[in-house]
Amino acid sequence: MRVVIFSEDEQFFNASAGLAQSLNADEIIGVGLKESKAVKEMILIDKLDEDGIVDLITKTSPQLAIFGNTRRDRIIASRVAGKLKGAIVTDVLSLKLQGEKIEAERVAYSGMGIAVVEASLPSVITLASTKYQPRELEDVKVQKVNLPEGRVRVVEKKESGSGSSNLLNAQIIVSIGRGIGSKENIKYAEELANALKAGLGGSRPITAELKWLPEDRQIGLSGLKVKPKLYIALGISGQPQHIAGIRDSRLIVAVNKDKNAPIRDYADYLVIADCVEFCKALVRRINKGGGGKLLI
Amino acid sequence: MIDYHMDIAVNFKIVPDDQMIKPMGDKLVVDVPLKISTYDKNAIEEAVRLKEKFGGKAIGITSGIYDLKSIKEALAMGLDEVVFIDLKNSDVYSTAMAISETLKQYNPDIVIFAEMSTDSGTSSLPGYVAELLGYPYVSYARSINIEGNKIRVERSMLTHIEVVESTLPAVISVSGEINTPRIPSIKQILEASKKPIKQVKFDNVSPKVVIKDIKPFVINRKGIVIEEENVEKAVDKLLEYLKSDGVVLG
Repeated sequence: MRVVIFSEDEQFFNASAGLAQSLNADEIIGVGLKESKAVKEMILIDKLDEDGIVDLITKTSPQLAIFGNTRRDRIIASRVAGKLKGAIVTDVLSLKLQGEKIEAERVAYSGMGIAVVEASLPSVITLASTKYQPRELEDVKVQKVNLPEGRVRVVEKKESGSGSSNLLNAQIIVSIGRGIGSKENIKYAEELANALKAGLGGSRPITAELKWLPEDRQIGLSGLKVKPKLYIALGISGQPQHIAGIRDSRLIVAVNKDKNAPIRDYADYLVIADCVEFCKALVRRINKGGGGKLLI
Repeated sequence: MIDYHMDIAVNFKIVPDDQMIKPMGDKLVVDVPLKISTYDKNAIEEAVRLKEKFGGKAIGITSGIYDLKSIKEALAMGLDEVVFIDLKNSDVYSTAMAISETLKQYNPDIVIFAEMSTDSGTSSLPGYVAELLGYPYVSYARSINIEGNKIRVERSMLTHIEVVESTLPAVISVSGEINTPRIPSIKQILEASKKPIKQVKFDNVSPKVVIKDIKPFVINRKGIVIEEENVEKAVDKLLEYLKSDGVVLG
């Protein structure tokens, strides 16, 4: 079987290669900017041009194409599927081959459900998890390809500089929802985040609608999916779109005035309190205790 | 040449209200009231705004679940017409085939989708349709500028923002940040009932992906409620619990 993999994210590239190896595919072709020892053949491209990558992958006629989970990965995956007129399954948690078909478990209903699906080949999938780990292979064949300029041109790139990528690796995250009350009150959440050496994120209403925090701090279904050891949700009611981004947290503490807020069902601890008062009290406690010490 | 007439197609999906979906035992209860998928309202809003700016027609396309109330809501928001595609056992492939076949009759300058639906949430349909139509695909738009047949779009890639340029006709997916969907007035709701709803049947392709089972995605949480007479005591209690979990703060 010929499997082609692509992700602009190294972790997802490796997970895709790990999955391809677990299927005992005889051809595993990687497409990317950097060399990798996790594939049997590597096509090194000169730039991340979406049109060019779509054409390149389609021309290799994959039976299975595996992609990561960044927005660009998903865009390219959907287009490759369209060009191949093949099956597409996104947010795959696990996958096995069954003759000429694949059977996969995928996330559905904004993260509320898991769907078990069967798809015919050729299939295109995107991964929701990085659990598959590859082993190093020997004698990787390398080929260099210069991609042509596509029909959609990136003319400007604006880095937000707000350090959102730190949230993806944070041990503790303090996160804000509408229940924080006002933009001025965010400073209390910031003080708590500083005292805990935590990352600061927010729900979609806070980041995308009210813009009280930079948009790239959005945690949830259409934003960042985080996996800290401790997630502190301040005034977040618990919409499914938000829960979808925090499922992989080890412990979830929610602070809310409303005892019946839906987040109750998704939290390990629900503290019934005003968010600002909670922040002040916990910061006082941490400072009294010597400050910032964290053992997990 | 600047053409001030623009025909717009917008795809929207009718889904079970995701805020009402609940696990029950080992099943997920999805038999709940229906609604227009959350971000699809942003897509409809953007289609109506472009129509208001450039003239032309804005046509809604929906497939799968038929719900008259949701379709009327889309019309009340300002669409001129809705085409319902009767499609059984759909997946991304068969839906994309049905939508692209339907769109070919309308020959729109722009086809708008939302970044994702709340049920399957694959984000795959716009890219798939773009390939079937042979149109450029511009995704996750948070603002759209059009001049003649040139489009300039700001798109959110989560960790950064990109400005991209392309040409019409094109498929564009919009993010939830692009606008705030309007709430139709009583007058618009009344007018909507006079607007046409067309039904077409599409049954000549079979899906390539079949759902075998849907189960709840359950992660067991402790669900302990801490309610004390003051916040200091609540914090103390929380820290005690966290300590027993092996987490010590401060």
